[in-house]
Amino acid sequence: MPSHPLRVAVVCSSNQNRSMEAHNILSKRGFDVRSFGTGSHVKLPGPAPDKPNVYDFKTTYEQMYNDLVRKDKELYTQNGILHMLDRNKRIKSRPERFQSCKEQFDLVISCEERVYDQVLEDLSSREQETFTPVHVINVDIQDNHEEATLGAFLICELCQCIQHTDDMENEMDELLQEFEDKSNRPFLHTVCFY
Amino acid sequence: MTSNNGESVGARTCVASQFFKDDKAIDMTTSEKVVDLLNQAALIATDSKLTVLKQVQELIINKDPSLLDNFLDEIIAFQTDKSMEVRKFVIGFIEEACKRDNELLLRLIANLNMLLKDESVNVVKKAILTFTQLYKVALQWFVRSKVMSEMQEACWDMVTQMKEDILAMLDIDNDGVRTHAIKFTESLIITLSPRTSDSDTPKRQEGDISLDKIPKDHPYIRYDTLCEEGKSALEQLLKFMVHPAISSINLTTALGSLATLARQRPMFMSEVVQAYETLHANLPPTLAKSQVSSVRKNLKLHLLAVLKHPCSLEFQGQISTLLLDLGMSQNEIARNTPAPREQRKRPRIEPYSDGKKLKMEPVLLEDDDDKEEPVAPSVSKPSSVPAAQSAIDLTAEFLRPLLSPENVANLVLISMVYLPDVMPASFQATYTPVESAGTDAQIKHLARLMATQMTAAEIGPGETSKDLLIKRKVPVVGQAISVVGGGYTEKSQLETPQVKRLPEPILPSTQIKMPGASGKRKVFRLADVVQPFTDAQLEKMTNTAVKRILHSEKAIAQSGMSHVRVKLLSRLVCQFEGIMMDDVLEFILEDIRTRIDLAFSLLYQEYNTYLSQQPAGLLDAYDHCLFTLLAGLQEKPEQRDGLFTKLVLEAPLITESALDVIRRYCEDESRVYLGMTTLKELIIKRPSRQFQYLHVLLDLSSHEKEKVRSNALSFIKRMYEKDQLRDYIEKFALNYMQLLVHPNPPSLLFSADKDTEVASPWTEETVRQCLYLYLSLLPLNHRLVHELASVYTEAIADIKRSVLRVIEQPIRGMGMNSPDLLLLVENCPKGAETLVTRCLHILTDKVPPSPELVERVRDLYHKRVPDVRFLIPVINGLEKKEVIQALPKLIKLNPVVVKEVFNRLLGTQHSKTPVPSSPALFTFLLMEMIPPTSTATNLCFGERNVYTSEVLAVVMQQLMEHSPLPILLMRTVIQSLTMYPRLGGFVMNILSRLIVKQVWKYPKVWEGFVKCCQRTKPQSYSVLLQLPPAQLTSVFERCPEMREPLLQHVHSFTPHQQAHITASVMTVLEANSKQPEPEAMRPVMAERKVMGSGGTHVFCSVCH
Repeated sequence: MPSHPLRVAVVCSSNQNRSMEAHNILSKRGFDVRSFGTGSHVKLPGPAPDKPNVYDFKTTYEQMYNDLVRKDKELYTQNGILHMLDRNKRIKSRPERFQSCKEQFDLVISCEERVYDQVLEDLSSREQETFTPVHVINVDIQDNHEEATLGAFLICELCQCIQHTDDMENEMDELLQEFEDKSNRPFLHTVCFY
Repeated sequence: MTSNNGESVGARTCVASQFFKDDKAIDMTTSEKVVDLLNQAALIATDSKLTVLKQVQELIINKDPSLLDNFLDEIIAFQTDKSMEVRKFVIGFIEEACKRDNELLLRLIANLNMLLKDESVNVVKKAILTFTQLYKVALQWFVRSKVMSEMQEACWDMVTQMKEDILAMLDIDNDGVRTHAIKFTESLIITLSPRTSDSDTPKRQEGDISLDKIPKDHPYIRYDTLCEEGKSALEQLLKFMVHPAISSINLTTALGSLATLARQRPMFMSEVVQAYETLHANLPPTLAKSQVSSVRKNLKLHLLAVLKHPCSLEFQGQISTLLLDLGMSQNEIARNTPAPREQRKRPRIEPYSDGKKLKMEPVLLEDDDDKEEPVAPSVSKPSSVPAAQSAIDLTAEFLRPLLSPENVANLVLISMVYLPDVMPASFQATYTPVESAGTDAQIKHLARLMATQMTAAEIGPGETSKDLLIKRKVPVVGQAISVVGGGYTEKSQLETPQVKRLPEPILPSTQIKMPGASGKRKVFRLADVVQPFTDAQLEKMTNTAVKRILHSEKAIAQSGMSHVRVKLLSRLVCQFEGIMMDDVLEFILEDIRTRIDLAFSLLYQEYNTYLSQQPAGLLDAYDHCLFTLLAGLQEKPEQRDGLFTKLVLEAPLITESALDVIRRYCEDESRVYLGMTTLKELIIKRPSRQFQYLHVLLDLSSHEKEKVRSNALSFIKRMYEKDQLRDYIEKFALNYMQLLVHPNPPSLLFSADKDTEVASPWTEETVRQCLYLYLSLLPLNHRLVHELASVYTEAIADIKRSVLRVIEQPIRGMGMNSPDLLLLVENCPKGAETLVTRCLHILTDKVPPSPELVERVRDLYHKRVPDVRFLIPVINGLEKKEVIQALPKLIKLNPVVVKEVFNRLLGTQHSKTPVPSSPALFTFLLMEMIPPTSTATNLCFGERNVYTSEVLAVVMQQLMEHSPLPILLMRTVIQSLTMYPRLGGFVMNILSRLIVKQVWKYPKVWEGFVKCCQRTKPQSYSVLLQLPPAQLTSVFERCPEMREPLLQHVHSFTPHQQAHITASVMTVLEANSKQPEPEAMRPVMAERKVMGSGGTHVFCSVCH
């Protein structure tokens, strides 16, 4: 068992729903966790599917919250966006983009395959320096509140299991296989190097 | 790197300075602070210890490096700390320290080496990471110093050794360590190969050392050696990749490393692409479905990265085929393909078959800034050219024209047979529809794929030339890299563009490596992966395999291949020495009727095995097989199909235990006939062991179950007719009978399950056991009777009795005409008298003795054993006088015997015809009784059917004729009268005649006379009146009560009748008052007498 807590990054597209839900739970369980999005912008549902609310990563949750309250408080209350933003702003001030973060992690968990691809692309495009490995695991989670909660628990369980391994790298394969069987969903898994 | 360090140092300094502010001793010197911190570190817990140590590191490396040397030992002392994190910190410190002051390598490398062998994998991993960095640092440092001290040389040797150690870790058990070893290998290859202008080097590594910066004239570090080491590392990495059981993470890591290599060292691009191709075609079977997806994703990512590199041009065909296979669209591929460089757009020139190898060389060459440097192995260059035609190339070339649609369709159809029922997960995950099916490029790709497989399987035309290739392989591979640093002739440069235009750019020179790589894979790797099964596994698998064949009975029968199955099964079972024997036998027994062929096949197979192992072979397996089958059959309830017989008769050999089963079968009352028929067949049809089988049958002849015994006996009797068996049977029977001479029954008489006490006495049963067989043979062979006699004489009384009881049937069967029996009677061994007597009795029991027999008996009686008892059975056949002679002796015997004698004499035994002479004999007997006893007469009177009233009348007549009168006369008369009252008249006649005979002269008879008269009154009155007066008086004296009735009788007479009564008689009647006249009576009496005797004479003549 590694003596230090796992340094975990949870990554979704906009660093709003799935990654934040997991961030919330993981930090409560004592992990050294950060959350990110990989998209070029932060997108939140708008009044119609083709009219999303688009922000850049510099916008704080607070600002988004206020913006949406101003736009249509009832709609965004009803679809839970405001509630989500409210929770997010209590965790950290603004969404973060994975590609802009130079911190090193032990484990990166992505919430959908497209995000996983982007994480991999980013990590392998970085210049290697220390050759320290980072494991990237994709856990497919649909982008809605319920699935985000379920997914967050799954991620949390996974992290706890990994945290408790004697030799994470040696046992990871087996552990993931077990989890696949248990949760009945495939995990993409790879290793990259800093 | 330095700049990067600077950053982190800056950050850390902040932390440190923060700490300093908290510290009260702001004015302490750095040295003092370090001492203070180190003292703290030695005492506190791990977490804070790390913090403190990090502060120390900041102080002595970044703030005041001059202190580094002083405190080095103190820090290093922590490498034995029990906390893994602290040890990892020490490694980090070593790295930082050595980077700061290269000189420290000399002192610290050994410590790092120690940590490289730490027990914690995490420490080892950290050590590998650090060494990855320090290897470059060390190389750079040593290269800079033109003169190497001994210390430095030793240090470099150690570095080299550590490098080898880490390379060896590619084979270590731990996945994570392998991952780190792969990354180290990647870095090592990059370091030990020359950087070229094409190299896509990350900015941070701009300053890193690489092979091209190594001087060829360095006193200690040899350029060539390093070059070779680099190539060998690459080889190891490629070899590692094709390990069939490689883990998904290792594979991912290796894929990434290859991509890095291809980009940073385009000279390796062909190897890399080749490796990708091979991997794509042969994904490790151990990967799970999601792992396959992950690996494919990685492969795609890395292929794209490689494709983006300008040097990928000549591999574009291969790469895009792979990407297409991985599911990328043509457009996407095109977007990621770099535009060809100007200089390569040369007019197309005729294909030059040798050119492949050269393709990449110009790439390396063009930007090589060290052209003037000598090329060590340039001599070997020419040889590399033809060798470019690898086995795979050759085979692929050979295959390509053959892949016509028709052939391919056939191949597909044939392969269908080998496809599994369910699509494997890995295939499902990796399958992408072939987009470019049927195009030239795709056919070529297909040919290559097939060629790869065929070469791996060591077939195809490429293989035939492989010998040559293998010999050349080593120099060729060396060439590929070593030429990099060397100058090339203008010619080769000129050729390059031509080569680029070749129609088949897909086939890179890296093919050279393939045969070697694949060859090694087989020779070296296979053994690693393929572990021998444990015995238990093997057994289990063979078992299940055989079971499958066993239970596929119906399916195989339907296909008409049952005989093959049967043969296969029997062979398998025999070969595995009976592991599955029991299963198969059980299976057979479930339905032996239909599986009898399997049973026989198995039997003969086992027997064959036994024969082939002669003379040392053991019959155990065969025996077990036969035994189980027979025993199984025996336990089955009912079968009339003769399978048992068939099995027994057709088995190549009957073993002891099988014989036991047959015996048990015979002992089963419901099957005794079938069993014994089988046994009989065996005896007749297997002459070589017939006595063994016969013995079983003989044994059964004394079986306790009657049915078994009688069957056995009847079978033996039939066998007895066969000359070759006769002696054996006889001997057995006699031996058995011979047992009777023992004082106690021998244990073999008891069946094994009975707990026998040896000293138990003979019983009727045990005696019989010994005799059954003998007695049944006796009627067939009379000679045997003499043996019985000799045994009989020696046996104890109990046995004798039993023998006498059991011989009746056979002796009767022999009959009294048997010469041997007559001989026995004649010889009558001493002690066998009772036996002979018994025989005589049996013989004459129902039929009168034959003259021969009588003759022998008489002979015996007169000459040897004067025992009258011998005569009894033949008494009927004796002369009258002989009988009369013997009779007195006979009568002295006990009443039972006497009765028998009389029975015989009187012919009552043979009830059919009474012996005519018997009344005479009886008469005779009655006269001869001395002393007179009533026994004999009583016996005679008991036989009413013989002594009818007529006979008695004759007897009485005869007795009366006798003179003097027999004592028993009157008794006989009285008894006759009692039995037959109608004889009364006749008796009166007798009485009258007795008066004539003056019966009063025989006191006894007279007494009887009076008694008789008394009983027969009033009939007797007329007789009494005939008596002379004196005798009448005597009568009245004996019986006074007679007088009055008689007187009244006379008074009732008519006067004429009264006239006949003499006066003297009347006087007697009237109680002496009147004297009767005796004279008057006489003439009447005389007259009657004549009449009576005449009648008697007639009667007697009839009788005689």
